[in-house]
Parts: sequence; structure tokens; C-alpha cells
Amino acid sequence: MKRRSDEIYSDLMRELEEGRYVFTGELEPEKAGDVNEPIEMARELLDLVVACNVTDNPQSFAYVSSLAASYQIQKETGMECVYQLRCADRNRMALLSDVLGAGVLGIKNILALAGDHVSLGDTPDAKPVFDLDSTTLIKLIRTVVSEGKDLAGNEIHNPPKLHVGGAAAPGAAHLKAEVAKVKRKIKAGVEYLQTQVVYFTDVLDRFFKELGPVDVPILVGIFPARTFGQADFFDKFVAGVDVPPDYLENMRATKQIKDKEKRKEEVDRVNVEFFTGFLEHLKGTPAAGCHMMAVGYPRVIPALKKIME
Amino acid sequence: MIAQEQKPIEEILGYLKGKRKVAVVGCGGCSTFYRTGDKAAVEKRAEELMSKGKEVLKIVLPFSIQACEIEKSGVWLEKNRKKLEGYDAVLVLSCGSGVQVVADYINEKMGFAVPVIPANDAIGLVGGGPRSLKETCQSCGMCELGKTAGICPLTECGKGLMNGPCGGVREGDKCEIDEKKDCAWVKIYKRMEQLGELDKFEEIRDPHEWSKMKRPRLFEIENPVGISEMMGALPGMLSTMLGPKPKLDE
Ligand code: SF4
Ligand code: SF4
Repeated sequence: MKRRSDEIYSDLMRELEEGRYVFTGELEPEKAGDVNEPIEMARELLDLVVACNVTDNPQSFAYVSSLAASYQIQKETGMECVYQLRCADRNRMALLSDVLGAGVLGIKNILALAGDHVSLGDTPDAKPVFDLDSTTLIKLIRTVVSEGKDLAGNEIHNPPKLHVGGAAAPGAAHLKAEVAKVKRKIKAGVEYLQTQVVYFTDVLDRFFKELGPVDVPILVGIFPARTFGQADFFDKFVAGVDVPPDYLENMRATKQIKDKEKRKEEVDRVNVEFFTGFLEHLKGTPAAGCHMMAVGYPRVIPALKKIME
Repeated sequence: MIAQEQKPIEEILGYLKGKRKVAVVGCGGCSTFYRTGDKAAVEKRAEELMSKGKEVLKIVLPFSIQACEIEKSGVWLEKNRKKLEGYDAVLVLSCGSGVQVVADYINEKMGFAVPVIPANDAIGLVGGGPRSLKETCQSCGMCELGKTAGICPLTECGKGLMNGPCGGVREGDKCEIDEKKDCAWVKIYKRMEQLGELDKFEEIRDPHEWSKMKRPRLFEIENPVGISEMMGALPGMLSTMLGPKPKLDE
């Protein structure tokens, strides 16, 4: 254990510090005037994961504020939230305001991201901001929390107590540059890392090998798809993520099943079969846990957790 | 130089609605290099307007007479003072700077009240050539190239990150935003590797100082280049054009 107990602010960090194998989930606020759906999902995930990421304008589609959603979900369900915060839409002042606001609202974890470029989303004419990047956002949060100062050195009275995580992309096209960037995030004080979705064990092994031993816990992102469409989307549109052809084919085949219940069963079977191999392999890696981006698919999680027992 | 693209004629005709007599002013600087404001461009725009029933006055600025330098372009506007009188609009075939400088001069110094309309969209400070050019600098006021192996993180990186690469680099080290473009941060990595300076890559670069870009920025020059200096430069220019050639676009 590296942190004193009064330096641990969240359940997620406590479990990581205690060296327990951690499972986290993911919730997606939508283009709506409420967060009823993620709240419902959070209830289903409550006993399955220690915390849930709440996405911030994923793929640059403008949705309910991740901060508002994180607050409301925590309040209504008791699920600890990881407030995802991206640099794409806010300058350093707005980022600082939101970090301080998160503290006020009882948020205990932030995942600091650069974010996809706005031109890729549903509001392509918006002005992209990127005043900070993921590294300098991590540095900002750490400076706020542990020194009570912002990046310009201005004092912050009663600074918030929260943790900051960062992302890593094991499937990056240029792994050496990616790993060097990850090490830079570690220098900036990132407290844990969460990887982009990985499906291939050799991709993951190469990443851990290139990274070498680090002092920061790493959660590996996995994405059990609820439908063939979801898996296909990842394969086609998410940079640095390839979906194994066999898994993709098996998922495609489930589309032929007319009976809804039978189809669900087969989807679950395909996922459990594929991820059994993957998760067994994960046990032999330095991963500290697993981030399950099974948005809207909580029913598969117990079976996956079982594999890791 | 400032690269530009020509606006679609439909947009220009929209601005010229209700204006019958239109003066078309070219530019002998960047717009001549990039063929968006040279003599041929002025002729073509004039023809398009005439075919829509406009009466057109053509003012071609000779090579090296930039619309944005009023000491030079003003001479050509003054030459046409008589003709310009009574025109309903002026269309300028230059970057936005040329359009504004011409508009200021006509409206404030010449004493006309005439709308001045852009014919081009400026797309940035580009380098390279002779055919393929790329935006390389956004004149940010605080050059970061010394920290990034001579590759601009603000302009070449699609997100303008000071600490890349982002997680979106595509196959073949291409940019998340456009697969036709190389990822600037992978380029920076490779350049630093070539220079034996990879330790610099892992350094945390501070956020860029945007305070250096309080717009509009003003600039004073004590001794503007005069005619004799320009004449003196001609032999050097000729020997450059006629001398040994660098390796150009692959
Ligand atoms: S950092 Fe980039 S934009 Fe700024 S002056 Fe240098 S090259 Fe130009
Ligand atoms: S892919 Fe490279 S150049 Fe493109 S936005 Fe990301 S870091 Fe910048």
C-alpha cells in the first residue's frame, strides 16, 4: 500500500490499493432531458462492479453532461461514478471549474481524456477546444488535489478530494509512441490507467511488455457486445480496436435466431465462450482489474466475473 | 504564404444580390501563386458575373503587388478611382487580409461607401510545393517548435495537442481525424528518435500560452522594404529560379 488511508477518497481507489481484483462498468447518458436509463442500468450493476464510468460526449456526440449524470446516478443509486472528462469541449478554465464542481457534488474519481475530435460526432461544426491534453489535465487535477493550486499557481481554498485516471491504447498503430505517452501520464501523476477495449491477448501482451513494470494499477477494457451491430461498430469505426473475425462471425450468426430469448442465450454463450479464453489469459498479466464497457448488457457480467474467481 | 480556395459562385452571387455594377480586384501576392487571384482568375470571375447580367470592372494587380499591402495595391485602386465611382460592390480575390485592407482603403481613404466582398476562403499559412502544400503554422505568437523536433503540435496535430499522440492514431500512423494525414505526434516521435532525443518525448510540455494570441495582434516595422531593395533582390530571385533544383514533391 502506498497511500495513507486519509489519502484514499473512493471505493475504487481503496480496492485498487488493497490489491483486490477490480471490476468497473460503464454508463452512457443520452441525448435526453433525463438520465433514467443509466440510472436503471446503475441499479442492475450495483452489486457487480465497484464503480461505473459515466461517459462524456462519447465519439463527440453531445449528450447530457457527464458531471450532472454522475451526480444524479450516485445520488439515486449509490453507485460510485467515474466522471469522464474530456478536453475536446472545454478550455482550462472550464475544466478547472468542472473539477472543482465535481468535488462539490461528491464525485470521487475522474477519468481524464483528450476526447475524440468534434468533427467525428454529431455537431461537426463546433469549435474544437483541446486547450489542455490528457496529460496536462491529469497534471491539473493532481495539482488541484494535492497542492491546492491550479496550473497558473492560483490558490484553491479547500481543494476537492478525488482521484484521477487516464487512458491507454494497447492496440495503438504506433505502440512505442503510445507507451511513451502513457509513461508521460504516469509522470504527470495519473493514479490508475484504463485501457481502450482489447480483444486480442497478443495485443495486450505486447503492450504490457513495451510498458514494462509500472507503479500504477491498470484496468483492461473489454467489450462484450450485446448485438452483432455493436461488435461490428467497434471493428469498423474505433481506431486501434480490431475485433477477432471468429467472434464477429459467431455474433453475426446470432442475428439469424428468430426467437428473442434464444437469441439472447446464444449471444451470452458466444460472449462467455470468447471471454473465458481472454480472461483466463488476463490472469497471467499485470492487470489490476477489468473495465467492462458492457453498456446496456449487465446480465453477462456475473458469468464473466466468475471466470476471474 | 496564405493558401486560399475559391468560393462557389452561388455564395458570391448571394452577397451581390441587388448589386449590378461589380469591380473585381485581383491580388499579385499569394493569390497569384495559388491561382485564386491572378489575371486568369479575375477574368474567369468577371465572365461568371457578366453571364449573370452584372457590369464588371476588372482590376488585375500585377505579380508581386499584394492586395494586403496598401502602399502597393492602393496605387491600383487610385488609378481606377474614376471608374470605381458609381460601382455597387467590390469583389476581392485575395485572402481575408487583402479583402479587409482594400475595404478599409476604399471606404475610409477613398471616401466611397461600397460593400467589399470576399471571393476566396483563406485556409492557412502553408509550406511545401510546388503542387502539394500543407498548413504548417498558425502564427500562434509563441513558437513551440523547439520542444517538438521542428513539427508544429498546434497545427500539424489535428487536435493541437502539446502532449500526444492521442488514442486515435490510425493504421499506418495516420491521424484520427483524417486518414489522408500523418499523425503529427508519431512524426515527432520518429524525428526525435532520428535525432537521438527520445528522452524529450516523454517530457510533459506545458499547455500552450494562448495569451500570446490576443487578437488582433499589431505589428510595427521600422524600415519597410523599399523599391531599390526589391530591385536589388531580382538577381537573387532569378538565380534561385534558374539554379539547381531541390528535391520537390515525390
Ligand atoms: S508553434 Fe506552430 S503555430 Fe506557433 S509559431 Fe510555431 S509553427 Fe507557428
Ligand atoms: S492522430 Fe495524431 S495528429 Fe491526429 S489528433 Fe491524434 S495525436 Fe493529433
